[in-house]
Amino acid sequence: MNNVKVSTKNVNVHYGTKQALHRVTLDINEKEVTALIGPSGCGKSTFLRCINRMNDLIDICKVDGSITVDNEEIISDEVDVVSLRSKIGMVFQKPNPFPKSIFDNVAYGPTIHGIVETKTDLEEIVHLSLKRSGLFKEVKDRLHEPGTSLSGGQQQRLCIARAIAVNPDIILMDEPCSALDPIATATIEELIDELKNKYTIVIVTHSMQQAARVSQRTGFFHLGELVETGETQKIFTNPENEKTQGYITGRFG
Amino acid sequence: MSNQFSHEKIIQLRKKRSAADRRFKTYGLIATVIGMAILFFLLFTIFSKGYSSFQKTVIELDVTFDQETLKITPNATYEEQVEAKFFKVKKKAIANALPDLSKKDIKLMKKMFSINVDKEIKEYFLQNPNILNTTQKLLVTAHSDVDQMLKGNAKRNIEEKKRKLNDRQLEFFDEFVFTGRLKSKFNNFFFTNADSRHPELAGIAGSFVGSLFTLITVFLLAFPIGIGASIYLEEFAPKNKFTELIEVNIANLAAVPSIVFGLLGLGILLNVFGFPRSTPLVGGTVLALMTLPTIIIACRASLKAVPPSIKEGALAMGASKMQAVFHHQVPLALPGTLTGTIIGLAQALGETAPLIMIGMIAFIPNIPTGFTEPSAALPVQIYLWVESAERGFQEKTAAAIMMILIFLFLMNAIAVFLRSRFERKW
Repeated sequence: MNNVKVSTKNVNVHYGTKQALHRVTLDINEKEVTALIGPSGCGKSTFLRCINRMNDLIDICKVDGSITVDNEEIISDEVDVVSLRSKIGMVFQKPNPFPKSIFDNVAYGPTIHGIVETKTDLEEIVHLSLKRSGLFKEVKDRLHEPGTSLSGGQQQRLCIARAIAVNPDIILMDEPCSALDPIATATIEELIDELKNKYTIVIVTHSMQQAARVSQRTGFFHLGELVETGETQKIFTNPENEKTQGYITGRFG
Repeated sequence: MSNQFSHEKIIQLRKKRSAADRRFKTYGLIATVIGMAILFFLLFTIFSKGYSSFQKTVIELDVTFDQETLKITPNATYEEQVEAKFFKVKKKAIANALPDLSKKDIKLMKKMFSINVDKEIKEYFLQNPNILNTTQKLLVTAHSDVDQMLKGNAKRNIEEKKRKLNDRQLEFFDEFVFTGRLKSKFNNFFFTNADSRHPELAGIAGSFVGSLFTLITVFLLAFPIGIGASIYLEEFAPKNKFTELIEVNIANLAAVPSIVFGLLGLGILLNVFGFPRSTPLVGGTVLALMTLPTIIIACRASLKAVPPSIKEGALAMGASKMQAVFHHQVPLALPGTLTGTIIGLAQALGETAPLIMIGMIAFIPNIPTGFTEPSAALPVQIYLWVESAERGFQEKTAAAIMMILIFLFLMNAIAVFLRSRFERKW
């Protein structure tokens, strides 16, 4: 059993007067893929965005409860979100490369955090990150073309390369394949499988097959509540909760 | 075969709908044609009235540079040459412009030449000092009345009293034309001179430079302040009643009549802060206040148009808020902001009322060399000339309008260029 990397206790999220998450308590293990599944609007993306405090961007969003990363509380005004986010990478639903060159996209994180001293170091990091995200072979001759000129799947892998360039501990993925075709999806899934050896990954997905394929643990959300959590195999073969059973067999959602 | 769409009523309705389509298309076409026709009429009037202003009339004059009249010696120094009596040389030349002129004739003849002739003779001599004691054929500037008569802008078949040139002067005029001594030349004065009381000498250089200084002031003040305010309001300011109030009032400010800004400049900048009157500095400051809302509105709209996913991506990378804004949003918002700024500047360029309020309507016969020197501005120059009684200023007015339009077209072309050059896809 791996160590617990992220631990949440009684997390409530309100958007204004509407409560989006109800007392979510979930542990996320180190160097594993944890999948969050559930019907649309169930709060799984909201939960994901609590972990790197992206909900701060929404004025009316209030988060309470406790979330610890490496046993350090992050739901507090004293937490430096910049350093928190440098430890937690994020990949979004729609590929969002910066309108800059492929190289500059990947180099952005290392540059702003000042983790490189020389140009050669930076190049090394960029090349390594692109190799890890499996994109290097495809783009090595056009590193200075705009990142937006790549295909959707390549763009998403570029975003992954961008995230791992700062060597985070955790990568959050918010439906990373929902805008991609099946072949690109398969490539990304393979990549996730490789990345889990080095990073803790939390993935929100609509596709139960995807959750089953890539994750070791799965959490099922419904109407803002975490209904059930456990090993992926168990959730998909022998769920304890009726709602989980209903969702994975396609009776609702 | 029949389905529900071949029903009589439905076919009728379909015909009606396509007729409405055609009708609307026709209305649109008519509106466009009318608009274009008005525009062309306007441009045609301006150009047909103004083009003659780019030509000036010169008279060929035999000028004798004899050393007794000039009161200099052949080996005079430059300083002595400058002090030579050129006005006497001119007097003699004009008296002998036509043979056998009486004293009264000479007086009339003198009025057919520009007062600038002294200076032209002097400049010619200073450039070629070895012409001392020779007679030269010089092309000297004619008086505006002669100029207008030659261009056909002044009527000659009317009562003598209503004419600028009397019967005797018309005889001289005809004699000059007959002997080919009246010529048209490119009017360099229009581009190199500042305003003047004499239409043949008046030019737009002074007001052009004044407008340029004013616009530079507007840009330097309004652009940084506008961008700063937009970024703060769009990205950093808390969303509450107070910022809402500010936002509404920025929109209101854009609708405030420009003369009110002029009064503000008069009351506050001139009277309280003691800015120098009639200068590009104070004119530019007032116009900057007027342009600010335009820039802020354009900049905020461009910032809003940047997809939030870009900002989220940057923030998720651990960029600070300022880094996310300045590395990603501002570069993407820049083309739109620049376009808005140039439109604001174009508006400021054409603005007259506030400049009148702060005294830029003063008659300034020289070209300003700095921001704190009294100067004119193009639109005010047009206003000054259109008010002038002399016929010669009419064509100047049209020509000045042409210049301001060219200036505006150029600025808009820059805006279009910037937009297409820096616009990036995401």
